[in-house]
Amino acid sequence: MSLKDLLSPFFVWQRAFEKPWTNMRPIEERPGAPAYRGFHINLADSCIGCGSCHTICQNEAIDMVPVEEFSGRPGDSGLRPRFDYGRCCWCALCVDICTANSLHMSNEYTWLARDPTDYHFTAGVEEKPWQDSELGYHRAEGYHLYPPKRIDMDMLTADESVQSFDEVVNGYSEEQAKLEADRCVECGICVATCPAHMDVPDYIRSIRDGDFETGLQLMYRTNPFPATCGRICTHRCEEVCPVGITGQPIAIRWLKRFIVDQVDSIDYARILDSEIIENGHKVAVIGAGPGGLSAAYYLRKKGYSVTVYESQETGGGMLRYGVPSYRLPDDALDKDIDYIISVGVDIRYNTIIGKDVMFEDLLGEYDAIFLSTGLSVPSSMRINGEDHPRVLSGLQVLADVARGKDPGIGRKVAVIGGGNVAMDAARVSRRLGADVDILYRRRISEMPADPEEIKESQEEKCNLVEKAIPVEIMDTGSKKQVTIKWGEAEMVQDPKGGRPRPVLQEDRMHTETYDCIISAIGQGSNLDFITPAVQEQLAIEWGKFTPGEYQRSELEKIFVGGDVANRTADAISAIEDGHHAARGIDRFLKPGAYAEN
Amino acid sequence: MNTLLDRLATDFGIYDISDRKPAITTLKVEKQQAERLIRELRDREGYTHLNFITCIDYIEQGIFTLVYMLHNYGDKSTLGVEVDIDRENAEMTSIHTLWAQAWTYQRELREMFGINFPGSPRQEEDFCLEGWDDIPPMRREFNTKTYSTETFGHREGRVSEDPREHMKAQLYPTRGGDN
Repeated sequence: MSLKDLLSPFFVWQRAFEKPWTNMRPIEERPGAPAYRGFHINLADSCIGCGSCHTICQNEAIDMVPVEEFSGRPGDSGLRPRFDYGRCCWCALCVDICTANSLHMSNEYTWLARDPTDYHFTAGVEEKPWQDSELGYHRAEGYHLYPPKRIDMDMLTADESVQSFDEVVNGYSEEQAKLEADRCVECGICVATCPAHMDVPDYIRSIRDGDFETGLQLMYRTNPFPATCGRICTHRCEEVCPVGITGQPIAIRWLKRFIVDQVDSIDYARILDSEIIENGHKVAVIGAGPGGLSAAYYLRKKGYSVTVYESQETGGGMLRYGVPSYRLPDDALDKDIDYIISVGVDIRYNTIIGKDVMFEDLLGEYDAIFLSTGLSVPSSMRINGEDHPRVLSGLQVLADVARGKDPGIGRKVAVIGGGNVAMDAARVSRRLGADVDILYRRRISEMPADPEEIKESQEEKCNLVEKAIPVEIMDTGSKKQVTIKWGEAEMVQDPKGGRPRPVLQEDRMHTETYDCIISAIGQGSNLDFITPAVQEQLAIEWGKFTPGEYQRSELEKIFVGGDVANRTADAISAIEDGHHAARGIDRFLKPGAYAEN
Repeated sequence: MNTLLDRLATDFGIYDISDRKPAITTLKVEKQQAERLIRELRDREGYTHLNFITCIDYIEQGIFTLVYMLHNYGDKSTLGVEVDIDRENAEMTSIHTLWAQAWTYQRELREMFGINFPGSPRQEEDFCLEGWDDIPPMRREFNTKTYSTETFGHREGRVSEDPREHMKAQLYPTRGGDN
């Protein structure tokens, strides 16, 4: 070995201190293309857990898992998608179907982990570096896997509708109904929101399948008033329909109506009847409104002998006497009620409890009683002159019209109030040929009436006057007229954080003379038929019952429901109250039949 | 362009002409006329480039629509020639004699849709689905979900909840349904 060989490594070492001859080229980051379909991003706060991503995934790579912090939010299942990257193929169908538009993909595509179980994560809930990435695949604006707009409903124009009491809504044709049903993603979020928890996705599917008899059976599982609810339901289901987040919600109510309209009432017995096994128990129901008749129907199906006591000459309660026929024609309501009667429910009309039949006698004679007497007493405006003969109640006007009687409203009418009764009274007055002003003490946006009723009353040229507080009713000297003094209101913030309060502006008063004033500011209950000894044992607050579990009152035999026992005071809640009371009465009278007892 | 389309309508019976995008026009032609039309477009009308061949499955109508996308470098126009063929025993004239690369597309169409192109080279060989043992996967009767369920195993410990049932259990256990 020469000396040179021995020293050469040291000569090489000296190069280490020289400037390198090569160029430094660090390994570049290679980001995915701007619209690359990389790892998932879910905006978990906007996601409502409808599970459409899970359903559409062709590789079964997505599970829906409960996430505590989202539990119990309205219109939210509390579940969030969890991705198994062992199965995902990044096709992005989950992003394309996402109803809430919360699911996207980042352009990130590298993720190294030693443990294969790591490639399994709940996007948006588990922290990931790509969660805030703005790049990656997003569904293009306007691109939907289902049509975002609902099928238009054919309706009478406002000019046509005010001419008569004909039904305003024409209903879907089969072709329209199928197209509308096709938009449903079948997530079932609406089922929780529906007070009666109707099997909405299932009956919508029956439309797609063209199997309306199954649809009818499904509806009767939870609601014996589908023809009615298909027309006038408050349809809270539609408010939470995920399709409505980026488009218009499925017209669930119109689809329900469509099914009922397809089946002739002659076929109901064949489709719906099941064997009733008499159980020997007797139940009395007081009030033949939706709550009472719903309880009667489900009790009868369970084998009870049911007698319904009704003070009026026919059944339906507020549906009959409070909802005008242009929204709910009598034959639709009768279709529902006739079937309930046909299963063997006995209704005693024109029977007033406390007069024709004594409440205490019912308590002795029946094994259980369901009270659903509704709210039938118009609330007072508490202003001077209110008892003037030309001040009519909204309920009375509607009941007169329902009975085919002329309510004698004249040609120029003021309606006081902002609820559905006020809107109905106003629209009925328009149909009777009157010019109508609606005076409401708060802003239009705060009216408790259904938005579509407000819209339609405006279209029918009812003049809505907001922030108008009635002050006094005055006699004009004529028997056919009446004068109202009302003042403008200013909305004042409530220091306690409640909703703004209207405050009367004394310097901005108006007086106007009308042929009549229709007062429709709410209604209360009349519980005088209950003997004082029994009343004392019931907790009654502001004229309403406060039911416990299964709609039971403080007395074990008495169950309560409907407007007189709930806050929402709508038909569908009453129907569920009746159904739930039937479940409760069955548990009470047949305790052995239920494992939970 | 319009003169050309008018002439093609007379000579080849093309129909359903539509402008899809600027400089992309599609037209339909009967299966029997297709090869002759495409040859004419290549040799006489400047459509010398075959962009691609693809297929759309119209299962409801029982047809496949083949699309031959041709490009003219002269006027930078693109023509999509669409040909409907029966889904049953689907078969089409091969155009690999017009453009050599056509056989690759045809091999892919055979594998993905099951369309036969008699005479096209290497038709029988696997293209990208090595060892495929099911019906061609781009046919719409192919059920991707069923296939993936039957073919691929599941990671252990995976559980999924149904939104509707989960909400019932959480929010209204005693309500709803037939009780």
